[in-house]
Amino acid sequence: MKKILHLTIFLAVVAAVAGGALAFANDLTTPIIEKNQLAAEKESLKILYPEASDFKSVALKGDSKTIQKIFQVDDTTYIFKMQVAGYKDGTVFMVAINTEGDLLKYHAISNGDTSGIGTKVTEDAFKASLEGKKANEPLDTISGATVSSKPVVEGIHEAAAYVDEYLK
Amino acid sequence: MNRMKNFTAGFVRENPVFSLYLGICSTLAVSTTLNNAIGMSVAVIVVLVLSNMIISAIRNITPNEIRIPVYIVIIAALVKIIQMLITAYAPALDTALGTFIPLIVVNCIILGRAEAFASKNNIFDSALDGLGMGIGYMFALLVMSAIRQLLATGVLNFANPFDMTQMIFEIRIIPAEYVISMFSQPVGAFFTFAILAAGVAAYKNHLEAKAKEQEKAEAALKKAAKEA
Repeated sequence: MKKILHLTIFLAVVAAVAGGALAFANDLTTPIIEKNQLAAEKESLKILYPEASDFKSVALKGDSKTIQKIFQVDDTTYIFKMQVAGYKDGTVFMVAINTEGDLLKYHAISNGDTSGIGTKVTEDAFKASLEGKKANEPLDTISGATVSSKPVVEGIHEAAAYVDEYLK
Repeated sequence: MNRMKNFTAGFVRENPVFSLYLGICSTLAVSTTLNNAIGMSVAVIVVLVLSNMIISAIRNITPNEIRIPVYIVIIAALVKIIQMLITAYAPALDTALGTFIPLIVVNCIILGRAEAFASKNNIFDSALDGLGMGIGYMFALLVMSAIRQLLATGVLNFANPFDMTQMIFEIRIIPAEYVISMFSQPVGAFFTFAILAAGVAAYKNHLEAKAKEQEKAEAALKKAAKEA
């Protein structure tokens, strides 16, 4: 009885100390992490529209798993931050679409798929093949990297559908 | 001398990956590029040294029956704290390493060294063991990732971990037409690992055979001296 009490209390104390240390580190780092994330987000939005002064965050409607955030650039243009599946970790990208359905800008933030194959979705050739097209019409995927690029194209279609449904 | 021997044991003779077969899962997954290899092994070294020191410090009061759960709580807390610190103060490093940092918790090198070494030795020796084993792990990762990156992409490069767009060096050794992209896949990891592990095993056998021969020679010498 005494033994089991000793064991229980010892483990509880170790867990409590570890928990305390975690809580302390969490308190210390949370504000910095949040600030970093906000700054990084603003930074990546600036890549698409360097001249825009402010990006208004738009509240999400419906329950999309791929649309992470929406920002408004001007009266007719919206930036979608999307996260889509891929071969391994998938792609995080931003796409700017206006209410006419024009695909204005595309920028891949990260791709966690096979280096040299899936990561082609972050390259300029893919970007060039998308920009200037209609976002709700068929878009070219990358041959040889279909598993990574198809979800991106589907994500763009989803964003276009979202504009049609909620933002017009 | 003994201390030095403990410290260098992890480099080749008792290399955690190629000789003790610890932490193979992470080695196979991470060894695709030099950048991943270095980032992962630095994080592992920090956690390994700290966890070895803490576990060694409480080794005399830790009840034997619950030592494993105690180790796991300590290791998990350490990894999480380090992950939070990296996210806060080196966000670029965090995006580069991503999921590899939390995966350190399940890296069996750390629990393995806690059980095999830190629970039986003093704090200083344990820290040294952690550092030595960590360097061994880093060595293993570097060798594997250099081979795999070279065969899969034909390029050896290393980018600044705090700013991935800034290349420190980049050399193309194999022309793009002759690369074997299979080596960036898990199957390439297994091939590379098997060949390197076989090499280390051969080296160890060689050392053993040499030691045996020496023993024999010494015994013969003694016998001869006696007879004379």
